[in-house]
Amino acid sequence: MAEAPCWIAPELESGANILYLQGRWRLAHVPGIAAEVAALRLAGDHCVLDGSRLEEIDTAAGFVLLHRLAELGCIARTVEVRQMAEAHARLLTLVRERMAAPSVASPTRHRGAIERVGHAAVLVGRILRAQVSFLGRVGVELAALLRRPGLFRLKETVSQFETVTLDAIGIAALVTFLIGIVFAYLLGVQAQRYGAAIFVVDGVGLAICRELSPILVAVIVAGRSGAAFTAQIGSMKVQEETDAIRTLGLSPIQVLVVPRLVAIMTGLPLLVFVGDLAGIAGGMLIASLQLDISPTAFLARLHTVLPLKAVVVGLVKAPVFAAFIALIACRMGLAVARDARSVGENTTSTVVQSIVWVIVLDAIFAVVLQRLGI
Amino acid sequence: METVLEVRDIVTRFGADVVHDGVSFAVRRGEVVALIGGSGTGKSVLLKEMIGLMRPTSGSVHLLGTDVCRSGEEEMNGLRRRFGMLFQDGALFSSLSVAENIAVPLREHTDLPDALIAPLVGFKLSLVGLSPDTGRKTPAELSGGMRKRVALARALALEPEILFLDEPTSGLDPIGARAFDSLVRTLSDSLGLTVFMVTHDLDTLLSIIDRTIALSTGKVIADGPVAAVMRSDHPWIREYFSARAPHEEGSR
Repeated sequence: MAEAPCWIAPELESGANILYLQGRWRLAHVPGIAAEVAALRLAGDHCVLDGSRLEEIDTAAGFVLLHRLAELGCIARTVEVRQMAEAHARLLTLVRERMAAPSVASPTRHRGAIERVGHAAVLVGRILRAQVSFLGRVGVELAALLRRPGLFRLKETVSQFETVTLDAIGIAALVTFLIGIVFAYLLGVQAQRYGAAIFVVDGVGLAICRELSPILVAVIVAGRSGAAFTAQIGSMKVQEETDAIRTLGLSPIQVLVVPRLVAIMTGLPLLVFVGDLAGIAGGMLIASLQLDISPTAFLARLHTVLPLKAVVVGLVKAPVFAAFIALIACRMGLAVARDARSVGENTTSTVVQSIVWVIVLDAIFAVVLQRLGI
Repeated sequence: METVLEVRDIVTRFGADVVHDGVSFAVRRGEVVALIGGSGTGKSVLLKEMIGLMRPTSGSVHLLGTDVCRSGEEEMNGLRRRFGMLFQDGALFSSLSVAENIAVPLREHTDLPDALIAPLVGFKLSLVGLSPDTGRKTPAELSGGMRKRVALARALALEPEILFLDEPTSGLDPIGARAFDSLVRTLSDSLGLTVFMVTHDLDTLLSIIDRTIALSTGKVIADGPVAAVMRSDHPWIREYFSARAPHEEGSR
């Protein structure tokens, strides 16, 4: 008789196939067992499993054996079991009862490159449509708020305002300060060649207040608060909290969306203003270090050349950016499916959509304001 | 029979809260044991301490001969292949399909070829009473009961010696719950599988459990066959079983 590594010993006794199962039929040994079982050939479709040499068997090993026997045409009626420990026999019976299933087909289908691009385009259309319909729903709720101001959640709004605005002051100031430095430096190097160093003040003031600070701060807030909104609302959706809100007779838009919308729309202009100051401070620093323009001279020049409307334009853009960020973030949060992966996907999508929209809106502002002569 | 799980003098404190105040018991191979106790008595915490996800304040846990509280990561990884854990809500990986979820332990811890893993996964699914078509779905598409079954299939993938179940039948309909019970019992009987579960389900307790351990105010207040535990005159145990008694008599 063959020794240890041999898992199955087929013998022909008086015309019947006898399969002696031997050793420990455990998962760890399944590759070896599978190889032996696959090589098995039977005379006819009748066989007897002899368990007298079987020490252990688990479902994986049992499945491999019975699966192969079924392929060879041995089904329940034609497989006998003898001299097997009761527990082993019971396990094989369990496996046989449960294995009627065909194997699973390949679970995921891979998309080709062209199909992927097309799919993404269709998805953009779908997102835009959903966004418009969400805007409508929020509009309806805001109108309801006008009729019944008591619905407004002041406490929630204030706490959102604190995290969106106050906690972001540092990072917004830092980024615009550094951009002010970079911008003034690059501009200064060029202007100095023409002896026009003082024009750096004009350039820094205008660029920071009108374009750079609003855009940069909006991008920071989109990444910071937009992502947070989607993740918060998304995990509430996963936990069925939004369903609970609805069941309690409240509107998720009133409870979750409106406070965030108001908080971010009031907060962003303030952050942009902080950004204006920090950016100009950065420019001022470089002007005095690099271009010998003293802070006093810088401020005096700024006072005469920076029109108020440039600052106002920047501050007016901010709430519009904010509204888009909040609406995108909240809608993506409410659109989360019931799993953790979807929270991550939607959060990413929020940040991408928000930043794209901030830039698109800024372009629209630039063209429209130009036409209006502002 | 050999002891596969030994819990000795477990004390767990969270700040000033004493959750466990000297919990000790041992489980032998092949036993199906239930841990019962009111809400907030630290059943799930104890379960997590047993499998090394949390550390007790003092005391020791020996699982399959390994000291769980004092083992290195390598030793624990070896141990983790030898037990399965079913989390309360399934804890399926949401980025993977059902079939991939079950295949994870097989791919990570065995050298089975893919050609063998696929049919094995299909078998595990039907073992827990699901159609192999379920394998293509994502966990988000499943009902609570189905998630539980998939999670059981994943816990059973490595043919563990001990199975830990955290409230396995909660959220299942009575038919599904009884089917789950008998599946657990069959596996225990045929595989010599040791099962340790936290449960609130009296039907489970009365049908498939060999031994019940009751936890209250941080201590083991009863330990033995269900019938013996039921006769205990501890007020919590009396209340626990009396909540059910009228029903029981009605149905017999």
